[in-house]
Amino acid sequence: MRNSRTLLYILILAVLFTLPFYTGVYLLNVMDIILIYMALALSWDMLLRSGQISFGMAGLFGVGGYAAVLLHLNAGLNPLVSIVLGSLIAGALAWLIGVAVLQLRGMYFAIVTLALAEIFRVIVRNLPDLTGGPEGTVLPSAIFSGNSTKTYWLTLSVAVVSIIASEIFRRTRIHFALTSIRNDEIVAKSSGIDVFKYLVFIFMVTSAIQGLTGGAYAHIYGFVSPEGSFSVDFTLLPIAMALLGGMHSTWGPVVGAVLLGVVSEFLKLQIPYGHLLVYGLIIVITILFFPQGIVGTLGQRFRKYGSR
Amino acid sequence: MAVLKTENIVRHFGGLAALNRVSVEFRENEILGIIGPNGAGKTTFINVIAGIYLPTEGKIFFEGQDISALPAHQRCRMGIGRTFQLVRPLPGLSLVENVMVGSLFGKGLGQREARKKAEEWCEFLALSDCNRDITRMTALEVKKMEIAHALATQPKLLFLDEVMAGLNGDETMEMIDLVRKIHRRGITIGIVEHVMRVIRELTDRCVVLDWGEVIAEGPYEMVSSDPKVVTAYLGEEA
Repeated sequence: MRNSRTLLYILILAVLFTLPFYTGVYLLNVMDIILIYMALALSWDMLLRSGQISFGMAGLFGVGGYAAVLLHLNAGLNPLVSIVLGSLIAGALAWLIGVAVLQLRGMYFAIVTLALAEIFRVIVRNLPDLTGGPEGTVLPSAIFSGNSTKTYWLTLSVAVVSIIASEIFRRTRIHFALTSIRNDEIVAKSSGIDVFKYLVFIFMVTSAIQGLTGGAYAHIYGFVSPEGSFSVDFTLLPIAMALLGGMHSTWGPVVGAVLLGVVSEFLKLQIPYGHLLVYGLIIVITILFFPQGIVGTLGQRFRKYGSR
Repeated sequence: MAVLKTENIVRHFGGLAALNRVSVEFRENEILGIIGPNGAGKTTFINVIAGIYLPTEGKIFFEGQDISALPAHQRCRMGIGRTFQLVRPLPGLSLVENVMVGSLFGKGLGQREARKKAEEWCEFLALSDCNRDITRMTALEVKKMEIAHALATQPKLLFLDEVMAGLNGDETMEMIDLVRKIHRRGITIGIVEHVMRVIRELTDRCVVLDWGEVIAEGPYEMVSSDPKVVTAYLGEEA
């Protein structure tokens, strides 16, 4: 059972890795977007497992993007190194913010994170010497000179890193800590769990993933701008994906990202700019009729029939 | 020797003194009853000792060390365990996983040992089928699970907050036996209970709280005939 599952994962990974050898550039570009959003959806879900809702993905996504681009341009670092450093900077920033605001819970914390993207956007816009101000900064060349195969491997790596992080969170003691904290903080404390430390830690890790994603995105498209890099899309679409796929799991956000990614690509061709409407509809239907999402609902069915 | 000692604990909620200069000693390996009418401050007292609330004034010593300012999770790791008056199981985790949370974090074990320890505690409390979903458990079983969860943190001092509430006669008898069994393991127990038969059978000593103050202290027979205690429970004669 365990071996066959490992084999399946290796097979899927092999297919995904070799994808560029038998598909065209268009599909790879679509995959880039799906994988980027997948990583963001996973990072959102990972924090949600502690009961905290973040609306700040776009903020740390943008910080990672700007940091990666500026480190590459000004310090002459290799783009890949600058992406990793951008991720670490987003993580470090989240640690500082977390220590300050993670006494807040629920809606209060969510509102603070919502403000983050806006605050970063304003800061970036008003530092023209460093960031290029309202116009943003354009890189002389996109990463790998725009080679779509290598670009795809980069986004695939980002998604795989997020999936591995998410699985580590699901399988180690972190899972028990987060589940306890989500359900009942008083029980968690009384069981010896340092609630604050865990919340800061997970906020830092998920923010680092968002920074990593932002760095990759910025280098792939070769520019950063206040409006583009901190776009509310990077907050709302991942949330929609995680909700549709199913919360509190690794495969929920993955499935949600693939489905909504493909659907939105299709809709963009059919009804330009109308796709967001359909998106909203999907979210409303999900929350009303199967709040556990696709993976959650199917999993429950499966268990029910399995136990009969 | 005292395992835990509180000195003049005061805890205010706004203008209300939920605890007022409470000094109590928990002696090594005794079962101490904490009784009193509803709203007397019994659960608040446990919460202050466990670190859920910090005392407004006063000090708490655990094995001679001042723990008054320590956060709850550290007090748990030092050896203060507790159950909750209203049971608080963790949905999404199975029976044994609920118990595991205690051994993982309270004792700092790795996952494999923590599971083994949790299974041992389940067995100790006669909880069968420990991988099952917690939604399919009786009231008694949920209470036992909470006790197992607390025991898995390996406490030296264990607070049982109304563990008999809602149990029928047979179940209460079983629970009394279990408390004795836990006590025989060398664990000091503080027990809050409204069922006086339980207090009479189990405790070496009782502390009676009323309006946040200690109004009597001593063996059950002594405090139960204390006029102040009778008045607190039944009110004054008109």
